[in-house]
Amino acid sequence: MTRTIVMSSISHRHFRAPSQTDGTGQNDPPTAGAAQKPQKQLTKAERRELQERQRAAKAAQTGSSTVKQPRPTAPASSHPKKGGKGSEGPVQGRGSPSTGPSGPPNKSTKESKPTAATAAEEAAGRSRGLRIFSHFALQKSVGHVAKGDVHPAIVRLGLMFAEFKICGANARSIATLSVFKRVIQDYTTPANNTLSRHLMTHLSVQISHLVSARPMSVTMGNAIRQLKLEISGSDIDLPEQDAKDALCGKIDNYIRDRIIIADQVIQETAMKKIHDGDVVLTYARSSIVQKVLLEAWAGGTQFSVIVVDSRPMLEGKRLLSTLAAAAIPCTYLLLPALGCVISEVSIVLVGAHSIHSNGAIFSRAGTALVAMMAKQHSVPVVVCCETYKFSEGVRLDSFTKNELAPPGDPFSSFPRNRSPGSLVIQNQPNLEILNPLYDLTPPSSITAVVTEAGVIPPDAISSIPLALGRLV
Amino acid sequence: MPSTAGSGEPNSDLDATQPDFDVYQAYQRALADEETSPPLAAILSLTELVTRSDAGTMFELVQALNVGAESLKKRVPNQIGLAAGCELFIGFVTLFPHESANFSELKREIVHQGKSYTLSAVNFRSKIAELVLGFIKDDSVILTHSYSRVVTQALLHAHTRKRISVYVTEARPRGLGLKTYETLTAVGIPCTMVLDSAVAYVMDKVDFVLVGSEAVVESGGLINAVGSNQMAIIAKAENKPFYALAESYKFHRSFPLSQYDLPTHNSGILSFAHPTNRPASEPARSPRASPQRTMTSEQMDRNPDVDYTTPDLISLVFSDVGVLTPGGVSQYLVGMFAGL
Repeated sequence: MTRTIVMSSISHRHFRAPSQTDGTGQNDPPTAGAAQKPQKQLTKAERRELQERQRAAKAAQTGSSTVKQPRPTAPASSHPKKGGKGSEGPVQGRGSPSTGPSGPPNKSTKESKPTAATAAEEAAGRSRGLRIFSHFALQKSVGHVAKGDVHPAIVRLGLMFAEFKICGANARSIATLSVFKRVIQDYTTPANNTLSRHLMTHLSVQISHLVSARPMSVTMGNAIRQLKLEISGSDIDLPEQDAKDALCGKIDNYIRDRIIIADQVIQETAMKKIHDGDVVLTYARSSIVQKVLLEAWAGGTQFSVIVVDSRPMLEGKRLLSTLAAAAIPCTYLLLPALGCVISEVSIVLVGAHSIHSNGAIFSRAGTALVAMMAKQHSVPVVVCCETYKFSEGVRLDSFTKNELAPPGDPFSSFPRNRSPGSLVIQNQPNLEILNPLYDLTPPSSITAVVTEAGVIPPDAISSIPLALGRLV
Repeated sequence: MPSTAGSGEPNSDLDATQPDFDVYQAYQRALADEETSPPLAAILSLTELVTRSDAGTMFELVQALNVGAESLKKRVPNQIGLAAGCELFIGFVTLFPHESANFSELKREIVHQGKSYTLSAVNFRSKIAELVLGFIKDDSVILTHSYSRVVTQALLHAHTRKRISVYVTEARPRGLGLKTYETLTAVGIPCTMVLDSAVAYVMDKVDFVLVGSEAVVESGGLINAVGSNQMAIIAKAENKPFYALAESYKFHRSFPLSQYDLPTHNSGILSFAHPTNRPASEPARSPRASPQRTMTSEQMDRNPDVDYTTPDLISLVFSDVGVLTPGGVSQYLVGMFAGL
């Protein structure tokens, strides 16, 4: 399921691996060149064997608690050379089993993460040519060193966020909220304190850990704000377990009302906009768009879908396989080919990361391009978006705040005669790779936003809070 | 067509309504009044349904209303204005405060409110006419389309205070422009009929365009007699203001993405006739042979009654709640209906 994402995250780690021979920084070109050698010296059989060993070690480890993960990493940094040999299999990241046998040999390099992290920061300071983008949150290789009283489940979640194993605004919010339920259940109020006051500080530590893994999404922000409101409002006289259960109930309700039910309403509304014979174009992969398309198809509407995709994440592949499995006629193309097909399209359906009060949509990088192109050809652009993705602020561009996408997926590059590793471009002192994760679609190129509160034109987005005020 | 097939059947399904009551006939009765527009007729017929209904709970009543609205929509070919009215009334009933001592009193109260709303709605048009007056300069030349009660009233009102002259389109196929023409010339407003195809020709001479509406939708766009859209496009091209007049009960909670997304659109509209299917006698009715060069009713059926004007072409919407920009209309609608 998370295949592409897993691959990309691995590549991210993997190709920093060579530098661990000297343990300083993977961005030094000389070491990078030299380090390539030990890897190549291994024969195929050796690599296979190494992998098998790692997998066995991993399997043995999965039985044990995941909580222990953070600890062994500290020694790893002290003898990074060993890491390359895979002798420290137990410390591997969770993602490795999903890699096929053709995967890169030294996945175990993740152990050297703390080293890599500091080195990356150092190198970043040196090599970053494009200073104006330096504020884009870099993916920090976090996770293992947790500051303060961080719940193990949060540590785990932080890792999954950082490695893009959980990705997408809805998935991240649901995951965060579900983990918070565990955190709340495992929490005991210290003596001389009340739950409604102390739990908040306890949660702040968890939240800042998650934020250090990956910047908080608007959806998570909204959900957490709501949760904090509920906590501060919980009755002091309530027995602790009851208060915790009440909070968990509130969290469940939030997930149900604002995400699950909202999605169903959006599905029903949006599928009415798809008529027989339509050609629906979508970009990358949005969970809600996928649901809408499947639902409309199940409802008997005959239409076809064009999935437009783009590197580095190639998320559209996942959507494509789901749609193809449902026997929906699909076309798959990359963003540059959009111009060839846009005149055939009857409706563009995209998802959103967040939605702002000026009607702008923050969404996967490339969406703005698709929307503008569609607008140019008078194709209606419909955004499917739950109201909990609403953000009060006005956003005018995608430079002030953005994230960097994980580096490209090496396996999809075509020259098959070269090893996938050699195809990946990495940051070098004179080379900055810029893969913004999101971009901003201006309201002028959006026709309508389908929310659970109805179909709203972008210039009326600012009245969503008013609409929600009525809902409560 | 469902209009012939399902006559009365939807009503007999609901136990909450007496079998002898037909909401469709009530609707037609209400519509017989010249001054009543479809949304108001729908509200009136639904209030009558409430009176006749023997629903014992609010849930049953709302359900009966929904069934009644559905059966109305099925039997009326152009359901847009009607749907707006039904939506408004059902929304009103749903949010109606349960303060009365018993349910029959509550029903009486609802019926009373519904009736007084339709009575007060008559004043909406004079309110709009007053608002429009502020935008009319002396010696204005106005272009209007087809026939609309509210536009006619606004023009008649303007005539009492200012000098205006009016171009009105013929608005085929129904030719309702003629009705506007007669009404306006009767009171001495200089008025000229123009062909629907002459809108671009006349546009340079007019100061602004004034049209009525079937419904104003959530995008801030307008659903009106076919031809309004092209008029708006031409007005935009000539940089002339395009004003739409709509009573607030015509605000409709739908969002057409294109002409073909309208509820009135069906596969028959704009379909191509199969030349092979023509009977042998067809060549005799070639255009040259027919005395009048008009479309046959069969050809007419392939044409739409209404079209959708996108919000970017509309300058302002005049309604009894104020003069709104298209964006303002959508904000008003989102605020009004989001709680339902």
